[in-house]
Amino acid sequence: MITAQKLCKKYGKFKAVDRITFEINQGECFGFLGPNGAGKTSTVRMIHCVSPLSGGSLTVDGMAAGVDNRSIKKMTGVIPQEITLDNDLTVRENLEVFAHFFDIPGAEARKRIASLLKFVELEKWRDSKIDQLSTGMKRRLLVARSLLNQPKIIIADEPTTGLDPQARHLIWQRLRQLKNQGVTLILTTQYMEEAQQLCDRIVIMHRGRILKAGVPARLIEEEIGREVAEIRAAPDQDEKLLALLGPLARGHERVGDTLYFYCADGRPLMKKVLELDLPDTVHRPASLEDVFLKLTGRSLIE
Amino acid sequence: MNFSYRIIYVFWRNMVSYKRFILTTFLASLIQPLFYLITFGIGMGAYIGYFGGKPYLYFLVPGVLITSVMMTASFECMYGTFVKMIHEKLYDSLIATPVSAEDAVAGDIAWGAFRGLVSGGLMMIVAIFMGILPVSPVSVLLLVLLMIIVGILFGSLAMIVTSFAPNFDFFNYYSELVITPMLFFSGVFFPLDKFPDWMKTLSQFMPLTHAVAISRAIFLGEYSRGLIFNFLVILILETLAFFIGVRRMKKRLIK
Repeated sequence: MITAQKLCKKYGKFKAVDRITFEINQGECFGFLGPNGAGKTSTVRMIHCVSPLSGGSLTVDGMAAGVDNRSIKKMTGVIPQEITLDNDLTVRENLEVFAHFFDIPGAEARKRIASLLKFVELEKWRDSKIDQLSTGMKRRLLVARSLLNQPKIIIADEPTTGLDPQARHLIWQRLRQLKNQGVTLILTTQYMEEAQQLCDRIVIMHRGRILKAGVPARLIEEEIGREVAEIRAAPDQDEKLLALLGPLARGHERVGDTLYFYCADGRPLMKKVLELDLPDTVHRPASLEDVFLKLTGRSLIE
Repeated sequence: MNFSYRIIYVFWRNMVSYKRFILTTFLASLIQPLFYLITFGIGMGAYIGYFGGKPYLYFLVPGVLITSVMMTASFECMYGTFVKMIHEKLYDSLIATPVSAEDAVAGDIAWGAFRGLVSGGLMMIVAIFMGILPVSPVSVLLLVLLMIIVGILFGSLAMIVTSFAPNFDFFNYYSELVITPMLFFSGVFFPLDKFPDWMKTLSQFMPLTHAVAISRAIFLGEYSRGLIFNFLVILILETLAFFIGVRRMKKRLIK
């Protein structure tokens, strides 16, 4: 569906996206993960043709980005990172104006708007002004707006930033529903849970490059293992702990006050931990977050 | 340049949003020109009396008409567009649809011109109620056309300013250094022929001078060959400003 070869995006001298290559298949949910400034948004902006390429090639459904922009935009729905609703208009007017932009005739537009408002549970707010809506409702309206043109590809750029858990789960459900209808879903996120919930395949980006690509569960298995033990202990105990626990784990990492052990099976290690009586220990399943932090580093990225 | 019929959709979006502000904008766009008409027209006009055979108001009205088009179109394409671009990020969502950046900017210039026409039209109605009438119905029609052309001109010029503007304060430079001087050096309130030569030359570089000259000729039905020059200046400047404005804005919108 989407093929990128050595794709680049430069802003002046700064390389936001640095020769990345990836392929997105029809009907899958593909996630771009990465810390702030990793180049996720720059990449998806090139896919939906609001940002010209600085190098490489990019085709969307057989059409070249930068050449067939209008045709690509016609089949793409975008849920933007920022809330870009029209504050001067009501909920319904927002959708009506957008339907115009896509050349959807009046009667058809009204039909779609009614069913979309139902889909995102905003029927009651049809005639409200945008500033009367909560952030969650605004985000849902953005979802509805992105679906007006019945897109084959949906690009969701951090669609749940700043939402409470209920609103977040509702958005996830809707996105999964769309995927089940055969829509190709492209997601950027920095929430690992979101990627695990939705994505069939992901790439982890950092400083404009792709560090790793693959299926989330397999990436976790390969990079971390199944389980993680976090032991809060002062660094001066490292030597002792590593000698005792190191052989029982696949790997370890020291960050701040915590020593992380990555294991395929955590039971032998935990047994030892109990023997040593280390009370400040967390034993949990490995997650995408561990992969992410291992690859992009646990320190702050600014 | 990638223009399409979708310019109309952008115009329509502004119309949908406008219906909530219609009354306030009517008042706002009437007040300043009314001030000019009352203070200069009636107050000063009483001292001046007749002016080329007609009451002073006949001199003043066609100038104030065009000034009000200039003001409204300029401000719409500065503050209005800036809010939509920076504060509401409206352009970001617009250009993700089949509407191109060029469509969006051209739609906003057309909108600015329309707002200018509404202000100018209101002024004309007020003037007609005061008994100051254009010479014939054809003149009214021609004035409407002129107001549209002048609206697009000043909308486009303002768009160039907006494409550079880092914030609202930036617009003050344009309105204080360009718009305000034009108001006084373009023959809106008094004829230019008593000015020293260098000032006359300077005024020829002001688009408002040419617009006012045409407006006055149409209003009074006194046409002369010199108007062709005035008209050419407006058209050339307008074409340049339009394409530069669209291009500059596109650069700002699409990174």
